Parts: sequence; structure tokens; C-alpha cells
Amino acid sequence: MEQFLNVTQKLLQGFGENCIIFAVTLLAAIPLGLLVSFGSRSRFAPLRLLVKTVVWIIRGTPLMLQLFVVFYVTPLLFGGIKFDRMNAALIAFIINYAAYFSEIFRGGIEAIPRGQYEAGQVLGMKKSQIFFKIVLMQVVKRITAPISNEVITLVKDTSLARVIAIPEILKQAENFSAQGLIWPLFYTGAFFLIFCGVLTLLFSYVEKKLDYYKG
Amino acid sequence: MKKVIALALAGVMTASAFAGCSGQSNTNSSNTNQSSDSGATTAEAAGGDWSYIADKGEMVIGITYFEPMNYFDQSGNLTGFETDFATKVCEELGVKPKFQEIEWDSKEIELNAKTIDCIWNGLTITDERKANMDITNPYMENKQVLVTKAENAEKYSTAEGIKGATVVAEKESAGEEVAQGEDFFKEASYVAVDSQAKALLEVKSGTADAAVIDYVMSIGTLRDGSDYADLKMVESQSFAPEQYGIAFRKNSPETLQKVNDAIQALADKGEIDTIAEKYSLKDLILVKGK
Repeated sequence: MEQFLNVTQKLLQGFGENCIIFAVTLLAAIPLGLLVSFGSRSRFAPLRLLVKTVVWIIRGTPLMLQLFVVFYVTPLLFGGIKFDRMNAALIAFIINYAAYFSEIFRGGIEAIPRGQYEAGQVLGMKKSQIFFKIVLMQVVKRITAPISNEVITLVKDTSLARVIAIPEILKQAENFSAQGLIWPLFYTGAFFLIFCGVLTLLFSYVEKKLDYYKG
Repeated sequence: MKKVIALALAGVMTASAFAGCSGQSNTNSSNTNQSSDSGATTAEAAGGDWSYIADKGEMVIGITYFEPMNYFDQSGNLTGFETDFATKVCEELGVKPKFQEIEWDSKEIELNAKTIDCIWNGLTITDERKANMDITNPYMENKQVLVTKAENAEKYSTAEGIKGATVVAEKESAGEEVAQGEDFFKEASYVAVDSQAKALLEVKSGTADAAVIDYVMSIGTLRDGSDYADLKMVESQSFAPEQYGIAFRKNSPETLQKVNDAIQALADKGEIDTIAEKYSLKDLILVKGK
């Protein structure tokens, strides 16, 4: 029993790292993703092309590789400049997830029928008013499902941070197995399941709340 | 209104320009990685390798956790032979040790990126590693042993018995060299896994028949009360005695000299033997006091 508590405590400590990555990535990647989605819809062709290329690079390479690049490349190329391990992980995760979110936002915005904009114009609204008061809420409703998908994937992706030696939960569990204790490795599943379970409930609540808003 | 839009667009452009930079460095860096490696190390030789560590006042020691080298005791403190040994040596050198957990696969990159100063974690000295890193005099001996389920120990003690069996070892470890190179394993099929603990897990779960791991690792993991207690070392077979050293960045002659001297000084005082005794590794120590 004492061993169980000891293991649980260590794993919780590790899961704390996962939660930090999760929370910060989500908070930063959603607004950044929205900005990027504006960029990829821009009427200014060079900007659009640039943004699309970046999104292609980020979505087209493994997150694991991006973690390596952020953490190791600057000190290898420029000597002294070093990121803290956690900061490096956060940067890689935020950029990666912003790229994915931006595509979801783009899809959501483009799915809003022209008529909605025209209706706003008829009512004499400014362009920004139309976007924030008419379009955005409908977009939010439409993209809740795909976003929840990404968010749940993010929970599990946080474990990838171990490749730059962040002591996250799976790494902690493997340390136990190197000391002759196997079960903690499988016990980690419970942490992820509970966390994702809570998120699933949260998202279905949000979807229900948004249900009045028939798009 | 126009102003607001202009401002928002400017914001987007700066944001994407920033994102563009980091995106571009993505592609460049992977190509130049190799060449920059050597560039960093030569530049360093000029700067004085020891003063870099001494100026910081701390030596960042790259480790992975495994018993009996670096592990956590009941009360959660980092302990183990290498922990105690490294702490003593750092005391001798007048710097503070800072233990940094790393991924074993990335140890050379960590060293070159200066995110750690040395690898001190039961590192086997090989020609290949000597070519890439500066390694101290050997301080400890180790060998590779064959581990299997207790009921199979008899069967796998001969080359005839191990025919057709699946043998696992940690990739790029001394165990892998043995499993692939020794005649004994000629008729066995080899699978590489990512750590010694995984190799044991494979044997325990029956997905592999036998594992080649460090003798030192087996002391810590096959003891009574461990989940691997039903695994057994094949007594009659041991392979390729090897030696442990501490690896520093290439071109660190000063540091190497200092660390070698400090280790010898500790051996002369009998302190290494005392530490080794605590973890029942005394037979394996190579540095002898004068």
C-alpha cells in the first residue's frame, strides 16, 4: 500500500508536467491559431502563401522532430543560447497545435454562408461587427467537435515531451520499471483516461449549451 | 474602422513572419546539424573546457535512472553508486553536481548542445564513443549477462538450446553487440528495444525468450521482491567484459585530466571502495588506491 501511494505520488508529479504543457499549449495555440487562420485567408497573396507554407511544414513533420529542433538546434548552431527544457517543449507544442487549429478555424469560417455577411451589411453593421457578432459564434458552434478531437489528442501528445527529457508521467513510470516495478507503466493509462473523460464531459456540456444557437 | 483592420493585419503579418522564421529554421537546421556539431566542438577547445564548467560553478551530469547506479531511495532522495561517486568527485573539484535526467539515445546531442557537461551513468567505453567524446580512464568493470525466465535458464545455457530463440537487448548498447556478434547467438533471432528495462519486460511478458543486459543492471533488478524476481541470469554464460568511463565533450583535455586526478585521489583515500561496498559493487572497481 505504501508502495502504491509512493508510485501514485511520483506519477502525479509527472502528470503535473503533462498538465502544464496541456494548459499552456491550449491557451496560447487557440488565439495563435485564429491569427494564422486569418493569414491563410488573406487576400494578400504573399502572406497567404507564406502562412500556408508554414502550416504545411508544421503539419508535415513529426512533432517529435519539432521538439528536437527547438531544443537542440539553437545551442548546436549558436553555442550558448539555450532554452529551458519546458520552454522548448511549450514552443514546439504551441506552434504545432496552432497550425492544426488554424485549419479547423479556416474550415469553420469558410462554412458560414455568404447570406450571413449580407444580412449584417443590410443591418448596417461594420465588417468587424459582422465577424465578431454574427460569424464567430456560429463558427465556435460548428468547430466544437473537431476542436475537442484535437484537445483530446493533445492530452496524450504531451507524453512526447519525454524525448527532450521532460520527466513526464510515462518517463516516471519507465523509471520504476528500470527499478524492477512493471505495473506503474500500465497504471499511467488511468491518469489519461480520467483526464480525457473529464474533458469529454466538459465538451458535451459545452455543445449542449451552444445548442440553442441554431446555425 | 480601416485603422482597426490595418492594425489587425499588421499583427497577423508580424505573427506569421515570426512563425515563418521558426518554420524555415526547421528545414535548414536538419541539413546543417552534422557540420555545426564539429564546429561547436572546435570553437570550444580555444575557450578552455574546464573554465566553462568552473565558471558556472556546477557540473551538469547526464543520467538515466537505474538501480544501483542512479535511483531514488524509499524517502525519494536520489542515491546510487554513480550519484555518490559523482558527488564526491565534484566535491574534490570544487564544483556543484547537478544531476539532469536525459534520454539515453540523445546523450551525444545533449553533450554537444551543452545542455549537459558529462555522461556519468555506467557508460561503456567503446572505440566509437572514444572517437566522438573524451572519456576518462576506466573506473569500473562490467560484463554482459544472459537473462531468461527461471525455468528456461538450463535450456538456454548452450548454443544448441538458444537456437531459434528471440533475444532482445537495448539498441546501441554493449548487449546489442554481444547479441549480434557472439557466435553463441548465431542461430537466435535478435530484436532491438529502447532500454534495458524494456528488454527485461519483453522476457517477463514472454514476447522474447532471453535478454542480454549489463551485469550491473541485473544486480538491481533481479533481486528478491522485484517484479523481475522470476527471471534468472544464466550463470554459465557471460560475455565481453567491458569498462565504464565518464564521457565529456570532445576536446576537453583539461577537464579530463582534472577528473582523472580527482578519481585517483579518492581511490587513494579509499573512498571509492567505501561507496562501492555500500552498493555491493566492490569487486568491479578498477581504480586502485596507491
